[in-house]
Amino acid sequence: MAGNVMTTRETVPRADALAKATGRERYSADFTPPDCLWAGVRRAGTPHALLTGLDVAAARATDGVAAVLTRADVPGTNRQGIVHKDQPVLCGQRVRHRGDAIALVVAETREALAEGLSRIEATFSPLPGVFDPASALLPDAPAVHPGRQDGNLLAYGLVEKGDAPAALAGCDVVVEGEFSTPMQEHVFLELPNGVARLTPAGVLDMVVSTQAPFRDRFEIAHALGLDPWRIRVRAPYLGGGFGGKDGATVQCLLALAAVNAGGRWVKMVWSREETFVAGYKRHAASMKVRLGAAADGRLCALTCAMHFDAGPYAHLSGEIMALGLEHAGGPYRIPHTRLEGWCAYTNNPVGGAFRGFGVVQASFAVERLMDALAIRLGRDPAGLRRQNALRPGEVNAAGVTAGPGTDVAACLDAVLAHPAWTGREAWKRSAPPFTRRGVGVTAIQNAMGYGRGLPDAAAAKLELTKQGTFRIYNAVPDMGQGNASAFVAMAARALSQPAAAFELVQPDTRVCLPAGSSSASRTTYTFGNALLRACRAMREKLCARAALALLCDDPARLVLSAGVVTDPVSGKAVPLAMLGRMLPRDDRLCVDQFVMPVVENPPDTGRQFKLGFPHRFYSHGACLCAVEVDELTGRVHLAQCVTSVACGRVLSLQGVEQQVHGAAAQGAGLALFEDPALAGGRMAAGDLSTYLIPTAVDLPDFACLALDDDEPTGPMGLRGMGEIGIHGPGPAVAQALYDAAGMWAVRLPVTPQDVLEALGGMPS
Amino acid sequence: MSRPVELHFTLNGAPVCIETRPGRRVLDLLREDFGLAAAKEGCGAGECGACTVLVDGEPKLSCLMLAAQLEGRTVATAEGLGTADAPHPVQAAFAAHGAVQCGYCTPGMTLVAAELLSRNPDPDRETVRQAVSGNLCRCTGYVKIVDAVLAAAKAGQGEKP
Amino acid sequence: MIGAVYRPACLEELWPLLDTGAAAMAGGTDLLVRRRGGEPCDVALLSGIASLGEIVGENGWLRIGAAATHAAMARHPLIRDGLPGLAGALGTLGSPLVRNMGTIGGNIVTASPAADTLPPLYALDARVELVSAGGMRQLALADFLVGPGRTVLMPGEIVAAVLVPPPLAGARHHFEKVGRRNALAVAVASLAAVIATAADGRVAEARIAVGSVAPTVVRCTAAEAALVGRRLTRQTLSEAAACIRQAVSPIDDVRATAAYRRQVAGNLLLRLCPGPDAV
Repeated sequence: MAGNVMTTRETVPRADALAKATGRERYSADFTPPDCLWAGVRRAGTPHALLTGLDVAAARATDGVAAVLTRADVPGTNRQGIVHKDQPVLCGQRVRHRGDAIALVVAETREALAEGLSRIEATFSPLPGVFDPASALLPDAPAVHPGRQDGNLLAYGLVEKGDAPAALAGCDVVVEGEFSTPMQEHVFLELPNGVARLTPAGVLDMVVSTQAPFRDRFEIAHALGLDPWRIRVRAPYLGGGFGGKDGATVQCLLALAAVNAGGRWVKMVWSREETFVAGYKRHAASMKVRLGAAADGRLCALTCAMHFDAGPYAHLSGEIMALGLEHAGGPYRIPHTRLEGWCAYTNNPVGGAFRGFGVVQASFAVERLMDALAIRLGRDPAGLRRQNALRPGEVNAAGVTAGPGTDVAACLDAVLAHPAWTGREAWKRSAPPFTRRGVGVTAIQNAMGYGRGLPDAAAAKLELTKQGTFRIYNAVPDMGQGNASAFVAMAARALSQPAAAFELVQPDTRVCLPAGSSSASRTTYTFGNALLRACRAMREKLCARAALALLCDDPARLVLSAGVVTDPVSGKAVPLAMLGRMLPRDDRLCVDQFVMPVVENPPDTGRQFKLGFPHRFYSHGACLCAVEVDELTGRVHLAQCVTSVACGRVLSLQGVEQQVHGAAAQGAGLALFEDPALAGGRMAAGDLSTYLIPTAVDLPDFACLALDDDEPTGPMGLRGMGEIGIHGPGPAVAQALYDAAGMWAVRLPVTPQDVLEALGGMPS
Repeated sequence: MSRPVELHFTLNGAPVCIETRPGRRVLDLLREDFGLAAAKEGCGAGECGACTVLVDGEPKLSCLMLAAQLEGRTVATAEGLGTADAPHPVQAAFAAHGAVQCGYCTPGMTLVAAELLSRNPDPDRETVRQAVSGNLCRCTGYVKIVDAVLAAAKAGQGEKP
Repeated sequence: MIGAVYRPACLEELWPLLDTGAAAMAGGTDLLVRRRGGEPCDVALLSGIASLGEIVGENGWLRIGAAATHAAMARHPLIRDGLPGLAGALGTLGSPLVRNMGTIGGNIVTASPAADTLPPLYALDARVELVSAGGMRQLALADFLVGPGRTVLMPGEIVAAVLVPPPLAGARHHFEKVGRRNALAVAVASLAAVIATAADGRVAEARIAVGSVAPTVVRCTAAEAALVGRRLTRQTLSEAAACIRQAVSPIDDVRATAAYRRQVAGNLLLRLCPGPDAV
């Protein structure tokens, strides 16, 4: 059960690490077929307008330009999207955000491509734009999709339990606040890219940096009127994804270029600036929250109204908001909740999936309110959280019963035992000149998987090779989270083989079986479970087939070990290599599948959400941040960040630490550095010199405390935890800043000017 | 488009001669003409370090170098630092200590780290962080990268890259 | 996009290249970023002209060749030990990779109001030597830089060297840069100071220069005067800080507001406060 911090450093070496460390691993960006064409996009550059003129004649006539395609050249629906298909591949009449694509150029060289793109003449008739989600819902707001029945309201959701408005009225104390979190850019290092060609057999063959190769086929097919079964997508290791490569980035445009390229390979790579303009973003959100409690600190009621900025296209906005609402009560016991959300279309950049998927936004609000409550009651913020921490069998804010191992209090205790907490008073007292120090602690949670509605399913294919080794057909892309290595480790353990006996085929829709997207903290759990089932079948098969060769009438007594099946009774053994030669190919394959269990009796709420509500499995944790504030500049230095997680059994401590460190770094970025400076639909911080992610000299040595826990339904007892670490730093830094400087942060990122103002150091 | 010129330089220990447009980026020259794809393009503006190569032993941004600048120089890429069978101690340490997640920043990081250790065999954590401060990583939070460099320092005492 | 790349071996070979419109390039870290996606342009590399890279002490003056990289400068004992304010600024510029490539000449000619080497050079009363086919001229750095991205460099001319006079004996050299992160950051405010104190602790001479808070670096002579003859205390530094705030004319931009820059430009002077037990 959760409680003890794991100290055994059981670690699974990363199967891909040495190839990456020696620069041999080939990412999608590294595939440049000889004699390939280059494709690029002309983008709107204006947030909302009618496209009144598009003259591509000069572009077409440019030396080296092979084709210039516009909306008229797009077959099919010209609509891409994951669930809702509302995003044009190439815009015809109107553009709805600055990154909208209006023309596609295909050329022999990158120079000719650039030249061709620059010669496209586009004229626009600007339309009034709408740039915040609350305004977008006003009756006279400009319509992003005119004629749409619900106007700019993309999705509405209500999750409630008990009677929160009434209960609030009876609470001893009520605190309220309005909080906001900004758009966030993924800044994966490998830019969106791919190569594609139409083979002589008429198959669209694509290699792309993608988190969802299987779904991509359907997105492309729907958009361009192609047959999804005649599309092959290969997904090599990604140079980062974080959600930003979930949903077509280059795919539909690249496919369009490829089908117009006479069978030649076409390559498309977005520039960094282009990715800022055209790529997906974390949804900016604002949250209005009220929290009521008894005088002794017991939480009683919570109301929350959230507005999410979807940009002009749906992507996964509804699902993101749903997950946000589901998490809006934090990992706390709150009898009455009313959690309401509106997702609105705007002319800002497109909101899409990003690690933490709506939970980042919601967590910030509820954790800030817990701090407000602690201040009002004169309570220590850690103690207040511990008092209200969810326990097994209790119902969470969305009405779902917490799983048997839930121990949020233990997660808090783990960070409270850390010297960064126990030694905080002495640390604060010894602050150097012009420095104020503070410490904050928050609780975190993140559900795993797709939730109800869409089956969170995976099929795994495992092959005994002719040489007696094994081949795992991985279907969920590895974007750095290390799932590929985890699968090798699991299979090695399940089949009693060394890791070196396993080869991994990275996702290829032609030979692997669908297993859903690399997202939602699900891949190791869902595909892992499917793989373990296939391993069980393989073990049985190997023993049964070996029994024939060993003349053994009791295959159950045979022992499978490295490279061999042995009969302990006779002492005879059959090498796996012999079985590999003996069995025909169909018999060397084991295929099995797994569907993540869902909440069995879902609460009668959140009815608007067909997909993604509610979730059954949660990981929990806590986060401590220690900050130093400079009184002269307002700059905040993150001195310590300690995160505890309870995420089932730990297959590889290194793997858990990697995820927590990286997620916390992105959370710290959101808290202190990453400011898109969005205005009028344009990110003024539109490149890496202005949109600042933390460097190595901006972050502390993150600490990760993995608690002893177990997920009985998980492969080897583990639970997904790729996202949870991102939630801590925002609210923990905010609490620490209050501790250090009396600053009450209501939005992220916290800027030095905000801090200076709070210190009274800015002229009013 | 300007005339191609002949360039002579040393690449990963071997002398090379290539004819190319002098104004091409070194990043493109290495990736496309020499098939050395370890140096990556993350931004094209010198802000991320994914394109790092060593020129005369100094880490530089190959996205901001012109091919002509390589004339007579010694260039080393991550591929030249070591192989899977014979990795450089820094590469081995990165792999062993969890410093590699998506791996896109890794070639640049390892070159910078190797150069650091070649002149400072026993750096502290802060010195390592300063050395890699021009190489962005979005996956690791940098902790295990620092761990790996210190482990390599302990193990290898800085073999020359 | 870059077209022809010339590699002159001496200044005499450079002049005709500049006449044909080639751009002089040292490290390329500003020029190549600016030229991305632009019209094809020829460049003339300065790295082949040995004299431009030298760092030499001459009669107490320091002559820094314009093509000296920031890394080479930071390592050089005459700068590392003799001009710690400048050395400190060099350590904050860009990143280690940028410092291995970028040069002081490039930093000066790009003339960003936020350039990191400039405040210390102003506080050191640095001069620049300009050369062309027609000869050589020298002027104060403060006279060379006239606005954001604007210098008095004439066509056919390059910066050949930066000349730093002997600094005030026994002076304290101070530099602080404020960026939105600790590396790869453009300064939002910076302060360089060279302060000489007499035996009784009173300021004998002060040079104070602030960056990123005006079209060019500002030498705050009023702040300097406010300190001369007085001891460095919180009180005196606060008064001088107020002078700094009056002397600057910052703008709002994506990195910071003018109000923040103005406030912080003055605040940075307080970093010179003596220890907590002093008044």
